[in-house]
Amino acid sequence: MAHSSRSFKTQLLRHEVLLLLVLVLEIAYFLNFSRNFGTPDNLSNIVRHSAEIGLLALAMMPVILTGGIDLSVGSLMGLCAVLFGVLTHDWHWASLPAAALTVAAGLVAGAFNASMITLLRLPPLIVTLGTYSLFRGLAEAITQGTKTYRSFEPAFLQLGELRPAGLPLQAWILGLGALGFYVLVHRTTFGRSFRAIGFSPEGSRYAGLPVLWRTALPYLLAGGVAAVAALLFTARLRQARADAGTGYELAAITAVVLGGTSIFGGTGTVYGTVAGIAAIAVLNNGIGRIPAVLKAGIGGELASLLTGALLLIALAAPGLSKLLQSVRKRSTLPASAPPSPSPTP
Amino acid sequence: MHDVLLKLSGVTKSFGAVRALKGVSFELHPGEVHALLGENGAGKSTLIKVITGAHTPDGGLLEIGGKAVENLTPEHARTLGVACIYQQPALFPELSVSENIGLRLEKPGVFQRVDWKARRQNAAALLKRIGAAIDPDAVVKSLSMPEQQLVEIACALGSGARTVIMDEPTASLTRSEQELLFGVVRELRASGAGVIYISHRLEEIFALADRVTVLRDGESIAARPVRDADGQMQLSEEELIRLMVGRPVAAIYPPREGTPGATVLELDSVGCAVAGIRGISLRVRAGEILGLAGLVGAGRTELARILFGLTPADSGRIRLENQEVRIDSPRQAVELGIAYVPEDRRRHGVILQMAIAENITMAVHPRLFPGGALRFGAERALALEYMERLGIKAYGPEAPGGSLSGGNQQKVALARWLATKPRLLILDEPTQGVDVGAKSEIHRIIRSLAAEGLAVLMISSDLPEILGMSDRIAVLRGGRLVQTLEGAEASADAVMAAALRDQPAQPPLSAH
Repeated sequence: MAHSSRSFKTQLLRHEVLLLLVLVLEIAYFLNFSRNFGTPDNLSNIVRHSAEIGLLALAMMPVILTGGIDLSVGSLMGLCAVLFGVLTHDWHWASLPAAALTVAAGLVAGAFNASMITLLRLPPLIVTLGTYSLFRGLAEAITQGTKTYRSFEPAFLQLGELRPAGLPLQAWILGLGALGFYVLVHRTTFGRSFRAIGFSPEGSRYAGLPVLWRTALPYLLAGGVAAVAALLFTARLRQARADAGTGYELAAITAVVLGGTSIFGGTGTVYGTVAGIAAIAVLNNGIGRIPAVLKAGIGGELASLLTGALLLIALAAPGLSKLLQSVRKRSTLPASAPPSPSPTP
Repeated sequence: MHDVLLKLSGVTKSFGAVRALKGVSFELHPGEVHALLGENGAGKSTLIKVITGAHTPDGGLLEIGGKAVENLTPEHARTLGVACIYQQPALFPELSVSENIGLRLEKPGVFQRVDWKARRQNAAALLKRIGAAIDPDAVVKSLSMPEQQLVEIACALGSGARTVIMDEPTASLTRSEQELLFGVVRELRASGAGVIYISHRLEEIFALADRVTVLRDGESIAARPVRDADGQMQLSEEELIRLMVGRPVAAIYPPREGTPGATVLELDSVGCAVAGIRGISLRVRAGEILGLAGLVGAGRTELARILFGLTPADSGRIRLENQEVRIDSPRQAVELGIAYVPEDRRRHGVILQMAIAENITMAVHPRLFPGGALRFGAERALALEYMERLGIKAYGPEAPGGSLSGGNQQKVALARWLATKPRLLILDEPTQGVDVGAKSEIHRIIRSLAAEGLAVLMISSDLPEILGMSDRIAVLRGGRLVQTLEGAEASADAVMAAALRDQPAQPPLSAH
C-alpha cells in the first residue's frame, strides 16, 4: 500500500505541475492571439482585478483543508462594504477607524460561523449557506437594496491606485497574503492540525489536538479576509454597495479546488491555490482580449465556460485514467461465458 | 483434477518496488477448511485479493474449478463461486436483513417486481440453515457485528459459493458467538465447500482447520495437514509460530521485573452515567501493569475513555500522584501525563494518510514546536528515535501510516504516546489483529516500559495476554469492577468466572 499513497503524492505534485503548464500555455496563447495582453498595464490590471477573489481563495484554502467549506465570504464582502459605507457616510467616521471596525466585524461574522460549526456541530455547508443568505440580506436591508455609497476620502481611494515599487498595491497585499497563508498552512502546527482534522476529526481528537479551536480558526480568518477584500473592492470601484462580492465564494472555491486541494479535506497546498487563482485570472482577462471574442462581446461567457471545463478536466483526469484502465482490463476478458461452478464431486 | 476448487501456482504480484507475492502456491479442496497463516504484511491480503479478482497477478497460474482464469474481476469471481467474508461486514445498514440478502442474491432487473414474500422466505431459510437466530425483518444497523457476519455468511451460502474466504471472522466475537461461527464453518465443510480461514488465533486453527498454509514475506512456506489420518495432532503451536516468523520465539511473555512503586492513578467510585460506568475504585502503581479484563461491553473501553477525557466522569474522584484532578478533554489528559493508545488504530490510533513522523509528533506539538513553528529536523529526529526504539519497519519517517502493517501501525500509535513521556499509559487491545512476531515485540516493549516506572493499564480480550502480562487483573462486568485478581489466584478460570458470573444486585450508589 506504500505505493498507492506515494503515487498519490506524486499525483498531487503532477497536478500542480500540470496546472502550472496550463498557466504557461494560457499566457503563451494570449500573448500571441489577444490584443494588448502582455502590456505592463494589462498585467497589473489582471492582479488588481483578481486581488479580492484571490484573497478569498487563500482564506478558503485552510477551511477546505479541514474538510469544511465557507459559502458566506462573498455575502460577507457585501455586508462589510455596506458597513464601511455607513460608518464613513452616515456616521462620518474617518476611513482608518471605519476600516478597522469593518475588519473587526468580518472577524465577528467569521466567529459566528465558527461557533455554529464547532459548538453546535452543524455541517459547515449548512451553516455557511445560512449566513450566505443572512449576510447578504442584512447588507440589502441596510441599503434598502438600492443605496450606493460614493465619494470616499482620497487617502482611502489610494488603496485602489497606489503602486509601491512599481507594482499595484493589490499585488503586494495578495503576495503578502499568500506568504502568510503558506506559512500558516505548511510551516506551523496550525496547518498540521488542519490537515489532521481534514483527514480524521475523530483521530485528531484521540491525538489530543485542540480540534474545536483548530476547526474554528480558518472560519475566523476567512471572515477577516472577506472584510479586507471588501475594502479593496470598495476602493477599486470607488463605491460601496450591498451586491459587492456576489458569487465570489464560488470563484474562490473553484480556484482552491483547481489548485489541487481535496474538497474532502486533508490534502492541498497554498501554492496550488495561488496557481489556481492565476490560471483563472489570466483566462478571464485573456479571453476577453481575443479580437473575435471582443467583437462578439462574449468574453465573460466564454471565460466562465472555459473555467468550468478546466475545473472538470482537472478533477476528472485521475479518475478517468483509472476508469480507462479497468475498461481495458474488462475488455481483455475471455469472450466465452464464465464457466459455471464445478459440480460437487 | 476435478477435486480441486482452487489452485494457485507460482503467483506473483508487485506494487511498484514492493514484491507482495513472490511465487505463492495454494490449493483448496472441497470439504476442507484450509487455514492461511502469516504475520501482517506476509501477503495474506494480497493473496485474498488475487483470489477474489480485486488484484490481477503479475505472473503464475490461477485455476478455479479446474479451469485456468485470467484477468479475473470481482464479478467474475463471484459467478465462479468465490465468496469472501471480511472482518467488517459490507451490508447496507439502513436496509433489513432480507433486503440485504435479496440484493446480493437476486438477479437485478430494472422494471422487475420484488417478490417480498419469496425474498423473506429465502432469507429466513438461509439464516435457519446456519443456525442464526436473526429476524429477517430486522434492520441491519440494529444487529451486532457478529450477527452481521452471519448475514454475510448466509449470503455466501445462498449464492452457492464453493470457495468461502473468511478473513479474521472472530476478531470481534464473544466466545459463544465464536462457537456458533465454528458450527457454521463445519457445516460448510460438510456440504462440500472449501473454506479459506484466516486468523491470528492459533487455538482456532487447531480447532477448525484441516490444513495450514503459512505465508512469509510473500512466499508460501508450508502446507501441512493439522492432523494425521488417525486424528493425531501433527503440528504444535510453537512449530506454527516458528514457521510464521522464521525463527523460534523464545518466551511468549517477557518476565516481570522490579517491584511496583508509588501509586500513580487512584480511582474512588468513579462513575459516568452516559458511559454506563458505575462506582469503580482501583489503583495503578508505577512500574505495574494492571490488566483490565471483561467481556466486550463490560465497560473497559468506556473506563479508558473517562480517564482520557473523551467522556468525562460525572461522579467519584480521580487522583493522579495524590493530586485530585478533573479530566474533561483529551488535551487535559495529555497535559496531565495520561496517554491512551486506542483500540481502533485505523480510525483513532493513527491518521493513515499522514506520515509516520507526523503521527508520532502529533501529541507533542506544544513541547516539540514551541510557538507553533514546525521544526522538520527535530520532528524527523524524534520520529527516527522512536522508529528505532520500537523497531518500526518502514522505508522512512515520511511513509504514510496507512502503508504499514497492523503491527507497525500499532507501534506508531504507541510511539506517539511514548513521545509525550506519560505517567500513565492506557493500552486498549494493544495486540488485536497484530501478527505473532509483532505481538511478542509489543509485549516486550510494554514490559520494559513498566520496568522503567510507567504505570500501565492494559485492556485486552486476549486471555493469555492478560494472564501473561498483568501484575494484577481487574475484571469488569456491566460497568462495575467485580474482582481484582493477583498472583496465583489470577488464572484463566478465575478471570472468566468473574467476567461471566451473575452477582447479587448491588446497592445503589451513594451520592458524593
